[in-house]
Amino acid sequence: MSDTTALIFGFNNYSVEILKNVENEYDSVKVYSLREDNVKTEGYSIGHFDLSDNWQEMEDEIDIEKAVAFCVLEETAENVFLVISLRATYENLSIIAVASHKEDANKLLMAGANKVIPLVETTADIITNMLENPISNDVLHEILYEESALKIAQIKIGKESHFKDEELSSIDWSHYNGIIVLSVMHKDMKSEFIYSSKAKRHVIQEDDVLVVVGYEQDIQDFEKKIGSNRYVSWNNWSW
Amino acid sequence: MLKKLIVDFAFYLQTSKSYQARKHFYENLLNNNKYKYKKYLDIFMISLIFTSVTVLIREVKHPIHDYLFYFNSYIISIIFLIEYLFRFWIHSSISKIIVDRAEHDSFLSRDINLRKAFKKIIQVKLSYIFSITAIIDILAVMPFFHELRLLRLFILFRVFKLFRYANSFQTLASVLASKKFEFFTLAIFASVVIFVSSVLIYVMEANNPASPVNTIFEAVYWSIVTISTVGYGDVVPITHEGRIVALVVIIAGIAVLAFTTSLVVSAFTEKIDEIKEIKTVEDITKLKNIYLICGYESLAQDVAKKLQRHGNSIIILDVDEQRIATAKNDGLTALQYDPGEMESYKKLHLSIEKQVKAILCLHEDDVANVYTALTVRSLSKDIHILSLLMENSNRKKLEYAGINKLVYPQELIGLITKELVGQPVAFEVIHELRSETSNVNIAEIVISDRILESYSTVDELGNKDFRVVLLGVYKKKRGHFYFNAMENTLLEVGDFLLVIGYKVFIKEFEQHLHTRLNHE
Repeated sequence: MSDTTALIFGFNNYSVEILKNVENEYDSVKVYSLREDNVKTEGYSIGHFDLSDNWQEMEDEIDIEKAVAFCVLEETAENVFLVISLRATYENLSIIAVASHKEDANKLLMAGANKVIPLVETTADIITNMLENPISNDVLHEILYEESALKIAQIKIGKESHFKDEELSSIDWSHYNGIIVLSVMHKDMKSEFIYSSKAKRHVIQEDDVLVVVGYEQDIQDFEKKIGSNRYVSWNNWSW
Repeated sequence: MLKKLIVDFAFYLQTSKSYQARKHFYENLLNNNKYKYKKYLDIFMISLIFTSVTVLIREVKHPIHDYLFYFNSYIISIIFLIEYLFRFWIHSSISKIIVDRAEHDSFLSRDINLRKAFKKIIQVKLSYIFSITAIIDILAVMPFFHELRLLRLFILFRVFKLFRYANSFQTLASVLASKKFEFFTLAIFASVVIFVSSVLIYVMEANNPASPVNTIFEAVYWSIVTISTVGYGDVVPITHEGRIVALVVIIAGIAVLAFTTSLVVSAFTEKIDEIKEIKTVEDITKLKNIYLICGYESLAQDVAKKLQRHGNSIIILDVDEQRIATAKNDGLTALQYDPGEMESYKKLHLSIEKQVKAILCLHEDDVANVYTALTVRSLSKDIHILSLLMENSNRKKLEYAGINKLVYPQELIGLITKELVGQPVAFEVIHELRSETSNVNIAEIVISDRILESYSTVDELGNKDFRVVLLGVYKKKRGHFYFNAMENTLLEVGDFLLVIGYKVFIKEFEQHLHTRLNHE
């Protein structure tokens, strides 16, 4: 992972959960709160920040351009202001923000966030899936979030891959036991479902990303067979 | 000896399951508006009533066929008589009165006093016979004695029976009954004005030979026509004194009319919410596959919309008036009931186990969710309860309350973020599959007997021909998901196929599974 620091702005239940989930993914995780009284609470060391454009103190400690910022301030207006301040100062910073509604999510995207998670819509989607499609919901949940043997992985087509320059529809995936290829993503196109007409005519090129589902061992075998590696970098992509 | 026989027979009837079931059936059929077959009886009886009145109107100027005449006089009358007898039977239980008396006397170590029991039976049955509805019912049977021409006019009493069968008449009556006192006051006022003005106009006009008011009846007729502001003009005062009386009556008439109108309007305004609520509850009893959502805050609003789009019935319960108004504006069935109160569910007349798929406690407050969950759990042990969890420290409390599934949004955000930073493309793919707006979806296809007749193994399904990815097979019996199931995997009834593809292709694939009955 190229990003070594995660910056979490805001100290609340969301930031605690984000902290728990991403602390192993980064070399260091820094949490900042707007409130000074939050510093050193509940076992976390929390820094203080304000919404002025003075990031010098932070810059002294870390290379902000290479970090990922999580903006989870409870006040939407403050969150939008924070995102716009960060984007105005750091053009290449990856910003992930949490919004309560889609309406707020749009504002955050306009303010320059790379990815926004609309809380209400996302939770409502999950609840609806839990009730209406319980089996697929459990399976997808397990694949995405649980430490199960079944994994979803994104595999980047390398220079040496023998898939390179081959038409997607001409590949017989049944040769790769235990693997299901769900979609392909070209550098300048959106993720395309494997059976879509665009994907069918697509000629695989270097840096394309295949999204596959399978057991860990099968994915590793697949990587070896096609001469490609798992792709983990996030911040080159934006939606 | 006879007493013993009567008591034994009463006990037999009280304990006979078939007798009680039959009686219960007729009670529902005749009196229970929520009973699904009652409406058919109502429609049948209303049709008979209208047939009867149509025949009556027709025969005034045209000769009618004998069979129609006999149908009207005998068949309909006999049907109404049978209905009357059934109502007489189900109104009260004779056997229960005897059994109660026998138990009461036995408990006090007394000889069973059947005289008291019979006295009570007579009282109860007479109270039915002399009730207004029963009187209308028996009068509607009268045209049976059609030889007496006057009795044939009793057919009109059949029209009054409409009150019994059409709910809206009952609603109208109940609305007007709520202003009984005001209507009574108005009636007294109007009677006094009519009485005084009739006497006055008679005194002023009767001795004048040119005046059309010659009798007290004509005076009363004139008063009523004037006070009602109809004013036919066939009877008019001609003396000055009479005209002064007319002026007073006209002004009083305006007052009476205005008062009546405002009374009716205010009665309806006050009762309109109640009427709507009764109608809503009636409609709810007919629904199936209901999601009962308790609390209608922002998350609940979104969940309700999504579940409704899937074709489910949604009922919203919330104590907040504003939120209920929002739910109604969103086109949902909503009631301002407290979901934490047992009384709310009683008022709903809802069979939780039969009609409700799941109960969603979506208050953005853990205390309210625990309270609601405990109330629901005390009503049904098996109903699936899903609840929102706002503070992780309350997780155990909600689990103790009997909630099956907890949704903690903060935790979800943490998990999503982790996946997002680790595998953004994969995350987007899965997110798209779950999203309703995306064209590519994941779907569950249940293996039915019909599908199994044609396809017994995975390789026979032919999903690739439909550009559908088979992610795996969920074996219900084993409760296990077989990812990328092998080609020779045997399918069983109740298994689920998890497929990914464009909605339209999934639909075609599903149709193909259901239609191809024989192997080629």
